[in-house]
Amino acid sequence: MEYLIKNAIIVDAKSDHHLQKRDILIENGIITNIDSTIKVSDKSKVIELVNLHVSAGWFDSSISFGEPGFEERETIANGLKTAAYSGFTDIILNTNTNPVPDNKGAIRFIKSNGDKAATSIHPAGTFTQSADGEHLAELFDMSQDGAVSFFDYKKPIKNPNLLKIGLQYTQRFDAIVQSFPLEASISPKGIVNEHINSTQLGLKGVPSLSETLQISRDLAILEYSGGRLHIPTISTSKSVALIRDAKKNGLNVTCSVAAHNLYLTDDELHSFDTSYKLTPPLRTKEDIKALIKGVKDGTIDMVTSDHNPIDVENKNLEFDHASYGSIGLESCFGTILSKLDLETAINALTKQSQFNLKSSGVEKGSIASLTLFNPSIEWTFSTSDILSTSHNAAMLGKKLTGRAYGIFNNKKLALHKL
Amino acid sequence: MSELSVNHLLGIKYITEADIQLIFETADQFKEVINRPIKKVPSLRDITIANLFFENSTRTRLSFELAEKRLSADTVNFSAASSSVKKGETLVDTVNNILSMKVDMVVMRHPNPGAGIYLSKHIGASIVNAGDGAHEHPTQALLDSYSIREKLGDVAGKKVVIVGDILHSRVALSNIFALQKLGATVKVCGPKTLIPKHIESLGVTYEPHLEKALNWCDVANMLRVQNERMDISYFPSTREYTQQFGLNKKILDNLNKEIVVMHPGPINRGVEITSDVADSKQSIILNQVENGVAVRMAVLYLLASKIQRNEN
Repeated sequence: MEYLIKNAIIVDAKSDHHLQKRDILIENGIITNIDSTIKVSDKSKVIELVNLHVSAGWFDSSISFGEPGFEERETIANGLKTAAYSGFTDIILNTNTNPVPDNKGAIRFIKSNGDKAATSIHPAGTFTQSADGEHLAELFDMSQDGAVSFFDYKKPIKNPNLLKIGLQYTQRFDAIVQSFPLEASISPKGIVNEHINSTQLGLKGVPSLSETLQISRDLAILEYSGGRLHIPTISTSKSVALIRDAKKNGLNVTCSVAAHNLYLTDDELHSFDTSYKLTPPLRTKEDIKALIKGVKDGTIDMVTSDHNPIDVENKNLEFDHASYGSIGLESCFGTILSKLDLETAINALTKQSQFNLKSSGVEKGSIASLTLFNPSIEWTFSTSDILSTSHNAAMLGKKLTGRAYGIFNNKKLALHKL
Repeated sequence: MSELSVNHLLGIKYITEADIQLIFETADQFKEVINRPIKKVPSLRDITIANLFFENSTRTRLSFELAEKRLSADTVNFSAASSSVKKGETLVDTVNNILSMKVDMVVMRHPNPGAGIYLSKHIGASIVNAGDGAHEHPTQALLDSYSIREKLGDVAGKKVVIVGDILHSRVALSNIFALQKLGATVKVCGPKTLIPKHIESLGVTYEPHLEKALNWCDVANMLRVQNERMDISYFPSTREYTQQFGLNKKILDNLNKEIVVMHPGPINRGVEITSDVADSKQSIILNQVENGVAVRMAVLYLLASKIQRNEN
């Protein structure tokens, strides 16, 4: 099959065609030509869309679906369709399934369930057996079958020695260990940001200290052990400062921020709407400012949707009882682009290499792994825009700028009819 | 006749100063009623009220029940200390089941902050929050301010210190909001471990020394130490708490002025307050209890009048 993308502005800082309007010809999954005009042939399927922009395919480092175990929240098939329509060619699937993926069989199950989709699924494996937080899982064995990173989802690593050993052990096969930044014992039963709003609402607070304590500890361990550490979804200004310093000192650390943590503050909590019950919690305007600066200067490597579908039975409850999390794929690009310039946004969305994954540029001869999008469209995210099985969306009702049309990846075109 | 700006009483945060004054003026009339030989009026004889207590309560429940009975409302009581949740029924289902029996108003105490607000989005009945976790306890704050007004003539310009466990206290939070709306200045006092880190963002100041706080204030509201809400030890022993934050007669007599002493009850005698202080003429603890019925009658009456008006 031959695809001809017409009149697309290429956004790829490494390409000679950066910010130029071009036609792109894809044959058998390879970009065979990029030119100002390419003639349409009988066999080519033509793609021509309003204000069409094309970049290297986007990557999301923190996605939860539910399969196996929580299919009522989301299946792998529909999750991957949602990811494709939201512009993502590569996603890391988190380990919050039941059973958890702590062995190569589980990794194979996820990969084989997703291998027909346009979006490539890259499973994470658990760091410990059954995510018990005590006994290291077979990390090497899982990595051989395609596990790209190891962590027990948002269950923090309590034992510092375990993190040290994990970081040392994984160096031979260059694996990435993730450590969720939360020292929960400093804020027992804390559920929202500890600040003015938690004080007014009587909701138990999680101070930024809970996050920075763990990050400080983990960076000290990393300095000692070596290895590759990824700190997922940081949320406070102090975390940005700590990681900025660590990077200056040459530590091999990467980190991410959730898109909604760049947009929403804990002021939203006054509605007691459980869509805003998130971990890490929504913080303050000052934190948002520091996080945006962190993305711009490269301290924060990537932005994630931190997509986490939760069924209504576990979300539409009293605030204390509701599960944490929000879907985010559908609104991710619009959220990011509402806060960042286009080049910074695309850069933060194409960091496959940080997880040892391939990313192809928009270049002649490259494998076609592309995202198609309109960066200037303004829209309000409503329930009719939700593609996920679960509808727990923190960004509902928000005005966004920019939206994906879909992707071309794995020799497949997946375009969302807007 | 004026009416409340809200259809539910979910917290002091959500009402205006004018609402509070209207409740007080209405309570003045009901206070006169409950001191008559026949303590009852027919105002709510067409109204059915469900008292839903998902958390234990004795005095608040009794006070609400008496208020309802003196307004001639029909009442049903439901107590389930979170057990229905454990059985699998959601809060909305539990309440909707009760409302199917044609209940007009709900008085609810619940262990989770925001439970009343959550419920108000899902049901049609008028809701009175009788305490939701560490969030609000609006009728307690109203009766506290009403009692200060009764004792000192006005709340505006008064200095009030709230002493004790502010961190776990819905009474403290609602009191802060009510007192500020009425023009009082508020300080909090207690072990730093039991003071929310960002308390000053609410416009109150923190005083770590009880005697200094008492010398400053016109009114001291001594909160109960809520051992049942503490997962870990916030102070080493009750004895040490009392040494630093317990109010006894000696401290009271050594102050440079006569202050008013309040307590929302139930009192741990000898812990936050000694018996001789609780029973002294400076204490208005029992007036608070009496005023509680009048204030709750006013709240129910004013909310019910909105239901009837909506139906017309």
